[in-house]
Amino acid sequence: MSEAPPLTGEELRQLCEFLYRRTGMAFDEAKRYYVQRRVTERMGATGEGAFPAYFARLRADAGGEVEQLINAFTVNETYFYREDHQLRCLSRDILPERARAKAPGEAIRIWSVPCATGEEPYSIALWLLENWPEVDAYDVEIVGSDIDTRALEAAQAGLFGRRALMRLSPDLVERYFTPAGPERWRILDDLRESVRFTSVNLVEPASTGAHGRFDVVFCRNVLIYFDDASRRLAAENLYDALVPGGYICLGHTESMSRISPLFAVRRHADAIVYQRPREGSRD
Amino acid sequence: MTEGKPKRVLVVDDAALVRLYYRDALERAGYAVDEAMNGLEALEKLLVAPVDLLVVDVNMPQMDGFTFLRVLRRQDLPVASIPALVTTTEAGPQDRAAAREAGANFYLVKPVPQDVLTVYAGLLCGDAP
Amino acid sequence: MPLIRKPSPAAPDAVPARDPLAALRDGSPDERFAAARAAGGLPGGVPALAGALSREADPRVREAILTSLSRAGTPEAVAAILPHVHADDANLRAGTLDALRVVPGGLGPHLPGLLADPDPDVRLLACDLARGLPAGEAVALLVPILDADAEANVCAAAVEVLAEIAGPDALPALEACARRFPGDPFLPFAVRIAAGRIGARTPAPDE
Repeated sequence: MSEAPPLTGEELRQLCEFLYRRTGMAFDEAKRYYVQRRVTERMGATGEGAFPAYFARLRADAGGEVEQLINAFTVNETYFYREDHQLRCLSRDILPERARAKAPGEAIRIWSVPCATGEEPYSIALWLLENWPEVDAYDVEIVGSDIDTRALEAAQAGLFGRRALMRLSPDLVERYFTPAGPERWRILDDLRESVRFTSVNLVEPASTGAHGRFDVVFCRNVLIYFDDASRRLAAENLYDALVPGGYICLGHTESMSRISPLFAVRRHADAIVYQRPREGSRD
Repeated sequence: MTEGKPKRVLVVDDAALVRLYYRDALERAGYAVDEAMNGLEALEKLLVAPVDLLVVDVNMPQMDGFTFLRVLRRQDLPVASIPALVTTTEAGPQDRAAAREAGANFYLVKPVPQDVLTVYAGLLCGDAP
Repeated sequence: MPLIRKPSPAAPDAVPARDPLAALRDGSPDERFAAARAAGGLPGGVPALAGALSREADPRVREAILTSLSRAGTPEAVAAILPHVHADDANLRAGTLDALRVVPGGLGPHLPGLLADPDPDVRLLACDLARGLPAGEAVALLVPILDADAEANVCAAAVEVLAEIAGPDALPALEACARRFPGDPFLPFAVRIAAGRIGARTPAPDE
């Protein structure tokens, strides 16, 4: 299989336009190399030697190619401390701001959705214990939710392999995990019990609504798989699941700008995040 | 625009061919061009990298050009005062008034000839001959 | 361990239970938002949402009304959304278009009417909505626009979509359209790019 020729500027523009419209993923020219590599990979896998033919396949979504390409972009693999710049943003900027809005004794609520096999909600718990100096001063409630009940069972079990822990220092692994067989580690019970797992369907208002309102929602790399109608409804459900002034963090390739005008975009030092505005609120 | 770093323009329009047409004119006149497909994407881009000039369409999905300018002008940030050229197919007097009220500096009716675009861009960027 | 795990109170911030159709009329913005989301599934919900859309000024509540109407997707619901493509407020026009784009089953039956609307701005927006149709149907609706629409801007909007979906059959109509508006600076540019894209998609005999 020969290497496909590089995309021209015109081809790259067409592809990025299509991806933005279809999925809400936003790439600019600075990410060109990244886009180029993934597309070349997919052209190789589909046996399409020329971009126009590959693009026609993508537009027609032949063989589920849209999902395949999204998979190539998102690296469908979850591990501890993935996209840690957002966790840094959480402890440096978001939580101090949310904490100021709280009445004494009122819990700060964080939602990881979809949480898959638990790496993300446990990462949040671990990160806060390690990096948020105020963590002892507030009640923090972390909920992990997914539509896949088998993933939730695995999350609850709290067993992880080496790849899931690859971003954690040996010291962190030592302090928060116990060996549980060859190449397996179990997260400490204290940490395991600090996350509540539930099942949820993001496009079902009654299902998201039953979870109450959160200060921060992590919703990474799932809306890009939805069609326009589902994406619009899911965004509205997530808006409804935030307290006024609450934040939503998407994956690093995702942009709310194609999805919904309900949120205000906010830039913090470590990340772009979206906020449910405070106006008209009972905050 | 012959010396120093090129001035940066953000073209905000949902039509890919229109963005390409403006890009073509502006790049030949020496500007560095970035694009956004609606007002929300433009706000997002401006928070990361401010520009010297905005070229803004009116009818766009998710956030129209007037709402975009109103939100931008309200920000307590330097980007709030970036000059904006609104280009639109809506040529009525109420549309001009709406553009002015939203914070547009100039209002051009589509189709905009490429040389007209670059003349106005030069005026708003302080590069007038 | 300071992190806590407790069962959440069921919907702790829920808006006090009130008849959504009444709240839609005179509630606070938060109540109207919740009411708009609930109303779509209630008897009499669609007419109530239709009425609310005409008077609602809060853009976020408007979004929720439009989402509920587009989810309902009935002819009555679509008929409630459609007139707002003429709105003076650009924000409502944008919201209307976004809602029409996600109506289940698409807007197929309405598009010919919208493409023939006397208001050129509606025809222009309708071209963009045609993007949601299967490629063959969209091409069949848009090529006649190139042949006959009196407004260059409407033709330009048709070219924009055709550049993405049309095959080589559309090339003569594209080129004829550029010739129809000799004074227009944009159409020749757009047609040249569109023809380039369509040509690239067409397998050349020697490849």
